[in-house]
Amino acid sequence: MIEISGLRKTFTGQDGAPVQALGGVDLTVRDDEFLTVLGPSGCGKTTMLKMIAGLQTWDAGEITVGGRPVRGPGPDRSMVFQNFALLPWATVLDNVAFGLRLKGVGKAERTERARDLIAKVGLAGFESKRPGELSGGMQQRVGIARALAVEPQVLLMDEPFGAVDEQTRRLLQEELLAIWEANRLTVVFITHSMEEAVLLGDRVVLMSARPGQIAEIVDVPLDRPRSSDVGGLERSREYVEITAHLWDRLRDMHEEHRAAPSEQAVR
Amino acid sequence: MSALAPPRARTAPRFEPRARRLPLGLVSLAAGAVLWEVVGRAAGVPFFPPLSEVVATLAAMTANGEILGNLLVSLGNLALGFAVSLAAGLVVGTAMGRYRRVKAALGVYVYALLTAPALVFAPIFFSVLGPGQSSIVAVVFMYSAFIMIVTTADAVEQVPAHLVEMARSYGANEWQLVTRVILPAASPTILAGVRLGMGRAVTGMINGEMFIAVTGLGRIVTQAGKSFDGAAVLAILLVVIAVALASVALVQFVDRRLTGWVPDTAKESR
Repeated sequence: MIEISGLRKTFTGQDGAPVQALGGVDLTVRDDEFLTVLGPSGCGKTTMLKMIAGLQTWDAGEITVGGRPVRGPGPDRSMVFQNFALLPWATVLDNVAFGLRLKGVGKAERTERARDLIAKVGLAGFESKRPGELSGGMQQRVGIARALAVEPQVLLMDEPFGAVDEQTRRLLQEELLAIWEANRLTVVFITHSMEEAVLLGDRVVLMSARPGQIAEIVDVPLDRPRSSDVGGLERSREYVEITAHLWDRLRDMHEEHRAAPSEQAVR
Repeated sequence: MSALAPPRARTAPRFEPRARRLPLGLVSLAAGAVLWEVVGRAAGVPFFPPLSEVVATLAAMTANGEILGNLLVSLGNLALGFAVSLAAGLVVGTAMGRYRRVKAALGVYVYALLTAPALVFAPIFFSVLGPGQSSIVAVVFMYSAFIMIVTTADAVEQVPAHLVEMARSYGANEWQLVTRVILPAASPTILAGVRLGMGRAVTGMINGEMFIAVTGLGRIVTQAGKSFDGAAVLAILLVVIAVALASVALVQFVDRRLTGWVPDTAKESR
């Protein structure tokens, strides 16, 4: 379980003026929940994720994962990056085994576990390829395998499918659902796509910008497993209604933003 | 290069067949040789003999063992001096590239010594270290270390932040971060600096041998120069050029082994 309370962060903007990235966020992520976080750019969703990962400091508030306060990166959490962040000189096998190697897992064991995960993400046979030889979708499969290899309790995903084309993105969504349904763990998934947020999430956290705050948390009462019939799910009434509702809210936020153009965007 | 960019083409299109490169180099060398021969004969001055005379002198010096013995002395000086420079380049360069305070503290000295003419330190080395091998090693160091420090520092600074962040997220400590992520990621640029450093080390070697401790190839050049033996001077020059080309080829060989992962498209632009 992840508990976030009173989380605040103010950055200094490029012009020296303070920019409030997070203005007091309270959020509880349940064990084995798939939580998606949606919001306009500048709402601080990636900042919040990096704080959970222990990669980013905050000014006030508290984050605990499994009851332990976050003070830095830890083996209970692993992250999947939007730009994949693969080591370009290392093979697929070595990339997937990277986290295990840092932890001092022996070569035989880490190779076995890496091979296992490479097969799970559908890349068997590509073990000795380098990232430059793979498509974007395949590279992110490596990123997911690397994150799962260290057997985390929490998977933090920062717009993981934002850099791949639409068709690949849909395939990756289905594959991620299938992997997660077979082997549940807590997932916090950042996205700017309403459809993706609804398709994947048990709940969708809608954040608003300037300052970054939670605007609404929407339950997604769609049946699981979802990976077997994504098409049917997307035609269901609930899916359409929730997506439409999220878009209404997001559009309002964009209009508010247009009304206050002097405010500066945060990432 | 942004990691957001789509994956690069597996093989870069080559508009020029690989086979044409080597003959072009040979043609250029042959033209240079002919030019040397013609100018040397036409000039008829003792300090610029034609190529044929130089080659004959070189053959004679090789036959009587003068070249080989001194070449080995010089290569020993070069190897030792370059090894010390390389170690300093990697350690100091990485520290400067990674830690802002180290860069603030050392940067001004490194850039000063990078541009200072290294031979002005020769009298100091001569006085402190004497006329032995240590003085030559010191001169080689002054010639080659700073360019490697500067390029290594730049290379380390340019390592993509997202790779460092990724490694930190998997709990990498500072040593793991440097050895497993930063140095491999920086290696293409570092090796470009090592290549420059190697060339300058050869210059440092011959200058050190000529002006401080008179040994090795530098000694023959100095003696030949004093006796106005132009052919011998140029013969040694050919040997020095061969040493320089061979050592740079060695660096390139290592470079290819270490940075085979860099896509060809990116390589062509550097």
